[in-house]
Amino acid sequence: VSEQNTTKHLDELTLLMYVERQLDRDAAQEVSLHTQTCTRCLTMLRALDRESRLLTRSMVEEDEPLPMKLAEFHEQVKRSMRWIWGVLFGLAALGVYALYTAYIEPVQNQLEQAGFGGSNLLSLMVFQGAFWKGWQSMFTLVEFAALGSVAAFGVFAIRKYLRRGTALAVMFASLGLLAAFATPASAAEFRKNDTVTVGKEETVKADLYAMGDHIRVEGTVDGDFFGFGQSVEISGHVTGDVICFCQSLRISGQVEGNLRSLANNITVTGSIDKSVSTFTEMMTVDPSGKIGRNLTSFTKSLTFDGTLGRDLLAMFGKANINGGIGGSLSAKGENLTINSGASIGGTAKFEGDNPADVSSGAKLASPLEYKKMQHKSHDSVRGSGYYVWSVIWAAAYVLFGLVLLSLLPGFSREASANVENVGASFGLGVLVFFAVPIAAVIACVTVVGLFVGLATLFLWYASLYFAQVIVGATVGQWILGRAADTWGLIGRMVVGICILRVGMAVPYLGMWFKYGVIIWGIGALSLAIYRRLQPSIAPNIPSVPLSSPNAPLPPNTTVGNS
Amino acid sequence: MEPLKPGRMSVPGITEPKDLIVRARAGDTQAWGDLYREYAPAMFRFCRRALPTREDAEDATMEIFMKLREKLSQYDPSRSFSAWLYKVAANHCWDLLRRRKARHDKDMEDIDELPLEAPEPNQLERLIEERSGDEVRKALNTLGARARMALVMRYYSDMSYDEIADALGVRRPFVGVVLLRARHELRQALQGSGALAAGGMQ
Repeated sequence: VSEQNTTKHLDELTLLMYVERQLDRDAAQEVSLHTQTCTRCLTMLRALDRESRLLTRSMVEEDEPLPMKLAEFHEQVKRSMRWIWGVLFGLAALGVYALYTAYIEPVQNQLEQAGFGGSNLLSLMVFQGAFWKGWQSMFTLVEFAALGSVAAFGVFAIRKYLRRGTALAVMFASLGLLAAFATPASAAEFRKNDTVTVGKEETVKADLYAMGDHIRVEGTVDGDFFGFGQSVEISGHVTGDVICFCQSLRISGQVEGNLRSLANNITVTGSIDKSVSTFTEMMTVDPSGKIGRNLTSFTKSLTFDGTLGRDLLAMFGKANINGGIGGSLSAKGENLTINSGASIGGTAKFEGDNPADVSSGAKLASPLEYKKMQHKSHDSVRGSGYYVWSVIWAAAYVLFGLVLLSLLPGFSREASANVENVGASFGLGVLVFFAVPIAAVIACVTVVGLFVGLATLFLWYASLYFAQVIVGATVGQWILGRAADTWGLIGRMVVGICILRVGMAVPYLGMWFKYGVIIWGIGALSLAIYRRLQPSIAPNIPSVPLSSPNAPLPPNTTVGNS
Repeated sequence: MEPLKPGRMSVPGITEPKDLIVRARAGDTQAWGDLYREYAPAMFRFCRRALPTREDAEDATMEIFMKLREKLSQYDPSRSFSAWLYKVAANHCWDLLRRRKARHDKDMEDIDELPLEAPEPNQLERLIEERSGDEVRKALNTLGARARMALVMRYYSDMSYDEIADALGVRRPFVGVVLLRARHELRQALQGSGALAAGGMQ
């Protein structure tokens, strides 16, 4: 064999395709002819062939015996299924009973007693209360939320077919489309200074976002007003809603929309045409203050001397009512005083530590119904019932865990594996545990993300339970060894949860242990979600060009002599 | 020692247990048990080669058989059973690896950017001669997920280029490039494992 043409050797890919019998007849013959005269290519051809054989031999060699648990896999699953089903049905019944008696029944009773029979607090707050802006304005928001969700699901569903860049492009394109089709938002004006003032003669024809130590609206805001500051005073006219985060808020002018506020103290001497919902330390509605619809107040001290069109729903430390309430009163707190100047058009209900002090001069459509508030027993007072309930609750967790592990086996496994990554899980757990509810509440209050906020809160709350299940599954695996399948993981989860519940039952320390477990688990869950949301490996095409572009690679050829 | 059994059992000389397959499809649990025992060792080895740890391989083997049992009614008896089995296994393993993404393994995209340098034929021959099966398996463990998956599908399961293209989600003409690149990666790993004194590649 002579070296005929040393400058034009065949490339490695062509030789490999020849060895692999992937060349068409003509190309294969070319290779065959070439290698008869070219020692280098022939050596390469042989080396590649031997490499293939080495690979096959290495891989098929039985270097490890089949693990014992795999040898008995089939029978084991069948056996374990039988008792697991029995146990699970028992636990399911216990869990449902526990959930019903501990949560649903008391809430149902409370709501009925508070006069909300049939509806619930959330729907009351959303549809009758301050969050509701009327169908017209809410519809755009609902549309936007729905479109956004569809787009997000779409991107999530096809993400594995997309490269990182493409995914971003699709996301931005979708956002662009949404923005293009969405109803143009009303204009907004931003003002930031130590003192922000809308002068008496001034009219802001836009939503106003004001930030500063002292904010005063003396003129007119033709739109919504968002205030973030130390003190906010509205003596002018706001045609939309007022949303405020501040230390002190005073409304002496007119607000045509709703008032939503998180503040230290709020005083209303002017009028608010729609509803008010507030979280405050002190809430005061002066005799001249008027609220067109409902007042929902969570406060330490409530003084209501003004006029309210519809219902008053309040939770407080101390409340003093001397004004007119068109609808009903539902109150919960320590002390309630209803003075002679008060009038209540609907029913009046109070659940408190002490009976309400109702003046004989007060005009109540029906007598006030009082119920003594039941305080939950403390950890230190533990009867046998406590331990029975601990067992029932452990069963409820097992049930919850079973549902989750069955529905999301892959995700649960990943989250459970993350639990062992203690540092990252704890770090992320602390962040998510505290930051998510805060962000969700802010989203709810600012309406912009009402649905997102509520959904996030719900998920966050559910994750408090899921976190314990996940940590339980990991603890179970530490004790019983790594689970081979989902049922194995469920078994280990049961053991782990029982151990965790025992830990949580320790007086005083148990509470801290529980928070630790929750934070740890939430971190592991967040880590798993984060990793899932990372773009997956795209089935990209190798970027190195074929070294022999002239040689096409048609399928299923049978030429080749190796 | 038992003679080497290729991963794909449809090769000439090895017949598939058609009767067992038919009975298992009809719901015969005994037949399914026999089928499992017949194929579990090969399937475990497939997973062991394709996945990074022994535990992963054990889990995956079990999960694959659970899937197979669920999907058994979808199997077309006119086609090779082991081919179908490996297809399910390959998809399952590749899904697992893809979900974990390259962050735990070597990043495949980076490797794609590296140029391919053709080796010296004589040096390649020497490298192959000097390496044992054990060394190759160890080197295989250090490869990126796609490279390892491609090599296992081709040289263990004897899957066709079409099947590999389908499983990895690449176009068929590029399967050769993927395999060649995987071999290069493997050679580099083998080179790094020692014995360069004998004159390994540069």
